[in-house]
Amino acid sequence: MSMEPGVLRACGLRFERAGRTVLDGIDLSLASGDILALLGVNGAGKTTLLRCLLGLLRPCAGQVSLDGAPLASLSRQRLACRLAYVPQAHVAPFPFSVREVVTLGRLPYQGPFGAAGATDLDAVESAIDQLGIGALAERPYTELSGGERQLTLIARALAQGARLLIMDEPVSGLDFGHQIRLLRHLERLAADGYGILKTTHHPDHALACASRVAVLHQGRIEVDDVPDKVLTPERIRRLYRVDVEVLRVSGGRSVVIY
Amino acid sequence: MSRPVSPCSASKRRPAASILLPLLILLVVVITLVALGTGRYPVSILDILRFSAGLIGWSQLEPAQFDLMYNLLVEIRLPRVLAALLLGAALAVSGAAFQGVFRNPLVSPNLLGVLSGSAFGAALGMLLGGNWLLIQLVAFACGLVAVGLALAIAHAFGQGSLIMLVLGGIVSGALFAALLSTVKYVADPYNELPAITLWLMGSLASVEIREVLWAAIPMGAAIVALCASGRWLDALAMGDDEARTLGVPVALVRYGVIGCATLLGALTVSLAGMIGWVGLIVPHVARLLCGPGHSRLLPVSTLLGASFLLMADLLARSLADSEIPIGIVTELLGIPVFLLVLRRVRRGWN
Repeated sequence: MSMEPGVLRACGLRFERAGRTVLDGIDLSLASGDILALLGVNGAGKTTLLRCLLGLLRPCAGQVSLDGAPLASLSRQRLACRLAYVPQAHVAPFPFSVREVVTLGRLPYQGPFGAAGATDLDAVESAIDQLGIGALAERPYTELSGGERQLTLIARALAQGARLLIMDEPVSGLDFGHQIRLLRHLERLAADGYGILKTTHHPDHALACASRVAVLHQGRIEVDDVPDKVLTPERIRRLYRVDVEVLRVSGGRSVVIY
Repeated sequence: MSRPVSPCSASKRRPAASILLPLLILLVVVITLVALGTGRYPVSILDILRFSAGLIGWSQLEPAQFDLMYNLLVEIRLPRVLAALLLGAALAVSGAAFQGVFRNPLVSPNLLGVLSGSAFGAALGMLLGGNWLLIQLVAFACGLVAVGLALAIAHAFGQGSLIMLVLGGIVSGALFAALLSTVKYVADPYNELPAITLWLMGSLASVEIREVLWAAIPMGAAIVALCASGRWLDALAMGDDEARTLGVPVALVRYGVIGCATLLGALTVSLAGMIGWVGLIVPHVARLLCGPGHSRLLPVSTLLGASFLLMADLLARSLADSEIPIGIVTELLGIPVFLLVLRRVRRGWN
């Protein structure tokens, strides 16, 4: 699959809901190779921002562009081939198999009437391989654990052929082992040239697995920089109103102590 | 308590698509031949085939024999058989599509009130003493009005969200059920009320070939359109945002399915009264056969629904000396089938 670089850029995004300003002049960009962690307290507007970036919500002012072209000028199908959404692992109403869910990622290439062709089947298999969920391929999605479901949804995004992935709290609800394995997967994907934007509630995860951290506070991006510069004890205290220390440990890593 | 089967063996036990569809078509053909042959004057399948060959000029039958068979098979039994096939397919496929669009396996085609609206319309037509054509037209129109009302409520109060569509359907269905009761209350209890009541139980007895052929054009188109939307429905079942980011035109698919199912439901009621359960149970049986993917589920439901309703009609007219309303047969048949299906699928719902 060809891997030309992609850049998603938001400029001066403003969004109001019921007279309340949710987003107020957001500037943010995501390029291939990035892992951008978006932090913010509950209700800060992270989900609204994600939906604006995906073109699901139309901002009141400002615009989102993909490689210079405004999202509004791209058809949903063309957009889907370049920008993928990985929702939080959820329960589906019907027991589709893992392979069926991943195959949905090929919809933008087929339209409703075309059947899956050889290229599509290859893309599905390689996405399944890439995330190591081959053993689950025939299992019903509804019977998987949260972590396995999240991997399935990421595989679907890869099958989509999109270079940029937008993930809504990919590790929430996963057990400790699944969280760490998922973060490793994200690092591998970024090394392969994917650009990943993920929202998270864990400053630790942002320190461990992100090339940049952006903090959404009171409708603005308060800061957007490398993790060590953003995640200082003062900022965490101000943001979450808890006292913490940030310790530098071996290997140049940092951890949050509370 | 039966042990749950392992999912792998369950999916392996399903027949392959390449075998399943031809098998179901064969089932439809066989039941059609049996239904054509069954009645007060039984005709063997061999004789039906011989007559069919004569009809297209491949063989010669005695003229008297040919006329008798023509009258019996083509004029008397065929309209009914075709109607059962068409309506069964229509109810089953709209049920399956609705379950996908509303992301709920317990949804029936009446969710937005189309059957309630049409039932009221038909009763109103009878009360107005209209001829059969007027009754059918009023039934069809009221079915569309009922769904229109449900959509209007959903858009006025909730920007057309899924939950508001369901609530709008409940309000609209309740309104038309109340209106139907009103019509029954003011109907003449000696002639009109029994006619309305009997008609609401559903019957294919008074269907004419001309009506069936007319209805077959829009209904066939709607059934084909629903069957073609299968892959989009898979994505829609995962959620609106996900479907949109997969390139699916969500509003077009949702309202397209609602439009097709409304057309099918309203025409069904205006042809044959209320026939319950088909749209709810047939998709479940189909899922057991072919899995939940809608691109297979919709055609399988279509064929299975056609066979199911034809079988129900066969029972309705041959179980007792006088005919049993088909709505009663589908409900009595539907309940045990549904219980069997529940036993198999409950695992996924817990």
